[in-house]
Amino acid sequence: MKMQKLLLLSLAALTLAAPLVAGAYEGNWKRGDIYYRMVCSDCHKGQPCGPIGPNSRTRAEWTSYLDADKHAKGKEALKPYFGKAFRASIAGKNKAAAKFADVPEDELYADVQALLMRSAKDGDAPTGCR
Amino acid sequence: MFKGQWRRNFAVWLGVAMLGWVFSGVGAHAGAVNHGKFAVLKQEFKSGPEVTRACLTCHDEAAGEVMKTQHWTLSSLNPSTGQIVGKKSLVNNFCIGIASNYPDCTSCHVGYGWKDKNFDFSNQENVDCLACHDTTGTYRKPSGLAGHPVYKEMEFPPGSGQILRPVDLRKVAQNVGKTSRYTCGACHYYGGHGNGVKHGDLDASLEAPDRELDVHMDVLGLDFSCATCHRATGHKIAGSRFQMNVKRPGPRVRGMPEDSNPASCESCHGAAPHSIDTMAKIKPIPGFTKVGMAAVVNQHNNKLACQTCHIPAMARGGVPTKLLWDWSAAGKMGPDGKPMTKVDAKGHTIYDSKRGTFVVAENVVPEYVWFNGVVEYTLLGDKVKKGEGYFPINRFRGSPNDGKSRIWPVKVYRGVQPYDPVNQTLVIPNTYDDGSSGSSYFASFNWEKAVAAGMAEVGAPFSGKVDFIKTEMLWPITHMVAPKEKALACTECHSRNGSLAEGRMKKVPGLKKGPLFRLNP
Repeated sequence: MKMQKLLLLSLAALTLAAPLVAGAYEGNWKRGDIYYRMVCSDCHKGQPCGPIGPNSRTRAEWTSYLDADKHAKGKEALKPYFGKAFRASIAGKNKAAAKFADVPEDELYADVQALLMRSAKDGDAPTGCR
Repeated sequence: MFKGQWRRNFAVWLGVAMLGWVFSGVGAHAGAVNHGKFAVLKQEFKSGPEVTRACLTCHDEAAGEVMKTQHWTLSSLNPSTGQIVGKKSLVNNFCIGIASNYPDCTSCHVGYGWKDKNFDFSNQENVDCLACHDTTGTYRKPSGLAGHPVYKEMEFPPGSGQILRPVDLRKVAQNVGKTSRYTCGACHYYGGHGNGVKHGDLDASLEAPDRELDVHMDVLGLDFSCATCHRATGHKIAGSRFQMNVKRPGPRVRGMPEDSNPASCESCHGAAPHSIDTMAKIKPIPGFTKVGMAAVVNQHNNKLACQTCHIPAMARGGVPTKLLWDWSAAGKMGPDGKPMTKVDAKGHTIYDSKRGTFVVAENVVPEYVWFNGVVEYTLLGDKVKKGEGYFPINRFRGSPNDGKSRIWPVKVYRGVQPYDPVNQTLVIPNTYDDGSSGSSYFASFNWEKAVAAGMAEVGAPFSGKVDFIKTEMLWPITHMVAPKEKALACTECHSRNGSLAEGRMKKVPGLKKGPLFRLNP
C-alpha cells in the first residue's frame, strides 16, 4: 500500500513537473520584432537612418548587453523596460505596449532576445534600419 | 476495495496529467501539423533539394502545382496583349534583365540552381518549399547563389569581410508553416536590389506596420498577412500585377463561384462601401445630406479605384522608394581609383560606381492614370526612340470613355539605361560578376563588353554600339492603405472653380478641362 502511494505521488510529481519542462518558453522573434520596433525604437531614434537596427551589434554584443542588464549607459536596469509596470505607464500613448499589457515579462524579454539573435549583424537574418 | 481506490487514484493522476499537458502548451499543435515529429525531417540536410525531396514524400502534388505558377516560370502569356511577360524575358529600368545575371537575380526564384539558361524547370527537387514556408525567419537566399541558401560558412561577397552563416535546414524544415509577411517580403519588399526600391508601396516597414501605414496589415489591429488577400489555390496566388482586374460589376465576395481573384478591395468591401454612418463623420458638401454624400462618394467607384483616395502617398513607412536610376552616371571611381558609393543625410545610397546615380524619396504622392487592367510592355527587340521625353517601358491602357477603366494611382519610375542606338532596341547588359568572364560591367566597367555578353546570352542582335535612353515605367499602387480619416478629401481633387485643372488629377488625360460641380460656390 505504501509502495502504491509512493508510486502515485511520484507520478503526480512527474506530471506537474512535465509541463514546466515541456512548456519552457522559446522566444517568439516575430512578437519581439513588434516590441522592438514599436516600443524600444520609439525612444531609440538613432541617426543617420532612423531607429537602431538589430544588426548594429553582433550576437555576442547583444548577449553581453542583455546579460549586463544596464540601460541608459548604466544608470538603470534594462529588464524593467520589458515589465508590465513600464508597459502600463506608456500604454496610453503606445499601442504595442497596450497590446502586450498582459504578456509576462520573461516572455517578452525572450521574444526580443530571440529577435536580436536572429537579426544581429552576424545573425541568421541581419536586419537593419527601416 | 483496493482495486477501486487504485482506479480512483489513477483517475486523479490522469486528470492532473491532462490538465498539466493542456496548460503546458504541448497541445498547441492540436489542429495543425508538428513537422518536427516526422522522421524524414529529422535527418541532416546538406542542400535545399534534399529538403524538397523530403517534403515531396508527403506533399507529392505540391511541386507540380508550383511549377505551373509564375513564381516558378517567371514567364506567362498575357492573353489581353498576346505578350510573354515576366521576369524571365522582360526588360526594365532597374537591374534591367536577368539574362547573363542569373545567379544574382534568381535568389528570388522559388527554386534552386537557376545559374544559367540551362536550368532544369522540370525537376521537382529544384522547387524551393522553404522560401515561402519558413517560419523561423532564418532562411535566406543571398544574391549570387542562384537561389540556394548558405550551406557552409562563407565570406560574401568575397573580400567584403561579411561572413554568412549556414542555414540550419533541419530546423527550418521541421518548422514549416503558412506564408507570412516575412516570407513574401523577403523578395517582394526587396525588388530592384534593395528595400523598397521597386514598388513604392511594398517595403520592409510592412513586416510590422501600424494602422497609420496599413489598416489591414496593422500588427496591433487586423494583422492581415499577404495571403489574406493574395489567396492561393493550388499554390497559384491571386493578384498578379501583370494582369490586373481593375473593374468588374458588383462586389466579388469570397467563396462565390465567380470569384477568381480575391485580391481586390471589392472582394470584401463590395461596390458601395461608403455607408451613411461613415459619411456622416466627414464634412459634408454644402447642400448635400449624409445620404446624398454616401451616394456621391459611392458613385466615384465607377471612375476611381479605391486606392486612389485611400492611398494618399506611398513609401510612408520610413523606407524610401527609388524614383530615378541613371545608369549612364556609373563608372566614376573614388579618389583611390576604386569603386565608391555616396549616401545622403539619412544613409541611403545615392551613387554607386557600379550602378550610377539614384534618386530616392519617402511619402511620395502618386501620379494618376486611366487604367483598364491591360499593361503592354516594350519587349526586347521592340523599337525604341530616343528623344527629349521618357520612352515608356510599359503602358497602362485605359481611357475615360471605355467603360472599363478607373483612375489608378501609380508610381512613375524613371531611368536612364543603356540601349542599342543602331538597332534602336533596349539591351540587357551582363552586370553580375562571377569572377571569371570579365564581361560583367561590375568587373570591367565597359558597357560594350557587358551588353555584348548579355545580348549573346539571349541570342538577340547587338550592333556593338551603346548609348543611353531615358525611360519610364509605371507601377500600380495598391498597398499601404491609410486609415479612412486620412483618405483624400474632396478638395484635393476638385478645385474651387469647379474643375479638376488643379490638384491631384491635373495630369490625368480627359480631366483637364472637365467642369464638374462647384464645391465652394
